[in-house]
Amino acid sequence: MEYILHILVMVCIYGILAVSFNLLIGFAGLFAMAQAAFYAFGAYATAILTLKLGLPFPVDLLLGVLITAFIGALVAIPAIRISGTYLVVVTLALQVIVIAIATNWKDLTGGTDGLRGIPSLNIFGYALDNPGRFLPAAIVALGICFWVAWRLANSPFGRALRAMRENESAAEAVGKNLLYMKVAVFAFSAGLAAVAGSLFARYLNYVGAESFGIDETIYMLAMVILGGTGNLWGSLVGAAVLVILPELLKFVTLPTEIADKSHLIIYGLLLIVILRLRPEGLLAERSTMRHLPHVDDTNRHGAEMTAPLPKDEVTLSGNDLHKRFGGIVAVAGFNIVLKSGSITGLIGPNGAGKTTAFNLLTGFLSLDSGTITFRGRNITGLKPHNIVRAGVARSFQDLRLFTKMTALENVMVALPNQAGDRVFDVFFRPMKIHREEQDNLVRARAVLDFVGLTHKAYETAENLSYAEEKLLVVGRLLATGAEVFLFDEPLSGLDRTTLAEIFPIVRKLADSGKTICIIEHNLDVIKELCDVVYFLDEGHAMAIGTPDQLMNDPALATRYFK
Amino acid sequence: MDLFAQLFVNGLINGSHYALLGVGFGLIFATTRIVHFAYGPIFTAAAYAAWFAANVLGLPIPVAMVFAAAVAAVLGVITYQYLYLPFERGQSSSHVTLIASLGLFIVLENLIAIIFGTGGRVIDGYQYGIFLVGPIYFSSVQLGQVIAMVVLTALLGVYLARTRHGKAILATTDNPEMARIIGIDTVKVSRLVFAIGSALSAIPATLILLKDGATPSMGFFAVFIAFVAVIVGGVGSLRGAVAGGLALGMVESLGLWKIPTEWQSSIAFIVLFLVVLLRPQGLFGRTVS
Repeated sequence: MEYILHILVMVCIYGILAVSFNLLIGFAGLFAMAQAAFYAFGAYATAILTLKLGLPFPVDLLLGVLITAFIGALVAIPAIRISGTYLVVVTLALQVIVIAIATNWKDLTGGTDGLRGIPSLNIFGYALDNPGRFLPAAIVALGICFWVAWRLANSPFGRALRAMRENESAAEAVGKNLLYMKVAVFAFSAGLAAVAGSLFARYLNYVGAESFGIDETIYMLAMVILGGTGNLWGSLVGAAVLVILPELLKFVTLPTEIADKSHLIIYGLLLIVILRLRPEGLLAERSTMRHLPHVDDTNRHGAEMTAPLPKDEVTLSGNDLHKRFGGIVAVAGFNIVLKSGSITGLIGPNGAGKTTAFNLLTGFLSLDSGTITFRGRNITGLKPHNIVRAGVARSFQDLRLFTKMTALENVMVALPNQAGDRVFDVFFRPMKIHREEQDNLVRARAVLDFVGLTHKAYETAENLSYAEEKLLVVGRLLATGAEVFLFDEPLSGLDRTTLAEIFPIVRKLADSGKTICIIEHNLDVIKELCDVVYFLDEGHAMAIGTPDQLMNDPALATRYFK
Repeated sequence: MDLFAQLFVNGLINGSHYALLGVGFGLIFATTRIVHFAYGPIFTAAAYAAWFAANVLGLPIPVAMVFAAAVAAVLGVITYQYLYLPFERGQSSSHVTLIASLGLFIVLENLIAIIFGTGGRVIDGYQYGIFLVGPIYFSSVQLGQVIAMVVLTALLGVYLARTRHGKAILATTDNPEMARIIGIDTVKVSRLVFAIGSALSAIPATLILLKDGATPSMGFFAVFIAFVAVIVGGVGSLRGAVAGGLALGMVESLGLWKIPTEWQSSIAFIVLFLVVLLRPQGLFGRTVS
């Protein structure tokens, strides 16, 4: 009995770890292989604070969580600049260093002997000094940690995390602050892992470096993958299976040494098999289904979206923009002035600098020189998400939809000024977020209606047709609430019928006073849609005029069609 | 001054070892973009293969080394063919392949531990020579580590630059898609780099066996230091991996001047941190925009 209770306690501890790790891997898509190091910080914090400073529960736990969360936030800083493989290596290195510190800083950590005699938890004079007594505390801790993770994952912040996981630049392009998100998710993930560490220390009354090695991180990884990335319940299942499974194997009599090794072999094989056969894990990620409101509510917002703005005012302008890549001049002395209510086309041969110009205007590339102003305000040098928030949004030639999210989520994540993007509000202003979400649904519905995708609201973006994907790109851009829309080839690869669907949408936007700029190769489209056309070549505007003027210019024709 | 000279030579020796590991790993990584963690246990397997050939079969050490290289090459190709290739064909993300690689890492490492036991293995009766040049001390195995790095890297450089297969590898490293378009069978190229890269790892593995003996867990440090060398030096260039490995060896060794021994292995990782943060393209890498 004692033995079964012990296993259940371990399931709780690993449940917390797997859930915390899933926030990073599954939701944020950050493959940071240092979860066991965060676990270690929590455990050592409790050990050191209780043994050396004699601090009582829950002071040790809270301090441990805070310290570890802070360290987690620091780890997020390299994660800003590097991604993918590099993040894996750097965090593995961190993991190794933490273990080296735990082993070598003998005065503090007891070195290889570890720290013994950590006092058991004591609740109202009732010592939790055996598995049966400890289990309720472990379950409560798991419950709280799970709730925290769940709340975070299912909030607008969690939605933004998933968007970041799907495509970082697209998340920035809808106004998400990646730095903030990474720091926050690392802090939470690390803090939750520290809770597991503190429990571990209190339960075993001992902490030693060997419990937090790289094997542990891989063990947790196996739990998350087995259970399903992006599904918190899955992590609990994964933890339960991987804690209980090796215990069952104990009934097969093997020498202990071989038994331990064979467990690890089983984890390894299980990882590979799961990835091959069911990469989404036992419980696949599910979108948080929300029901679209009825049409009548949305009329107001639909009207609001196309509420007329004053026309013919200068909105976005770029003055004397320059950009070089090494020896290659991409943009040189480019000037552009966009006006509200008008559609501007950018044409020019491949490599003329059209997309680079967009990247410069929206902060995705830094300027070598030049200034960008939006409604008279200098926005040069702002980060992409701040430029979107200021009112200038762009789309990407290669779409960059959040493919594993539904059409509705793609739109909702892009809505501006969401209090739910801030973790503080997620936890401390739940009612405000709830109301806001209701409102966001109405707005999202209005956007989907506008682009004609309401019937696909619950379809994941990867299941949409090409034309629908293009419409969703437009919808997502609209949802940002920006005033200036820069479309990078929104119409390429579409047939006439679909074009005929999108044209009126773009026209309507312009008629409502939005500022529109389109990169396009199809001259028929340009002719039909644009009021002004810039002909770009060699990094600057060679000619500016109406579509007719430019197309009748023989010099440009030879340049473009050479 | 004598101490400095000795530390410098030690740095050169260890650096050569790291560099050669980095060259093998870097060749695979740059060409296939697979983070091949199982490079570690394959390195370990090579050391045990050499031990088996020399100790059990009684073969001379150079032959044992060739045997180890063959074993490593076969394991490398099998890993690619039956683990990575199916993932690649299934269009899995690079993370999935990486995790699968970690999975294989634990499987192989523990398999080796079960087969050979966790204790270290040495070749019975093997004695290495010791040289004293002035105040500086080094062993024949250490000399071997430096020579192996110089010779094998030079040979690989010539192979890549001069032969048809070598050029195909370089083309694939540069741009896999373009390589496919001009008719290079990139799967074949990948198999080839897995064979060469793994075989290369067998040489430092055998030398470590001669120097310190083989243990089942020796692979972790090997793959890690290889990875670090490649990233510090800059991905995609032979010179980068060599320079990265040598730089690591030097920093680690000269660091001993001021830093206690037990922290030595952490130095490499701190260098990695700094490089990744300050110069993510590596010390000798090109800037990629």
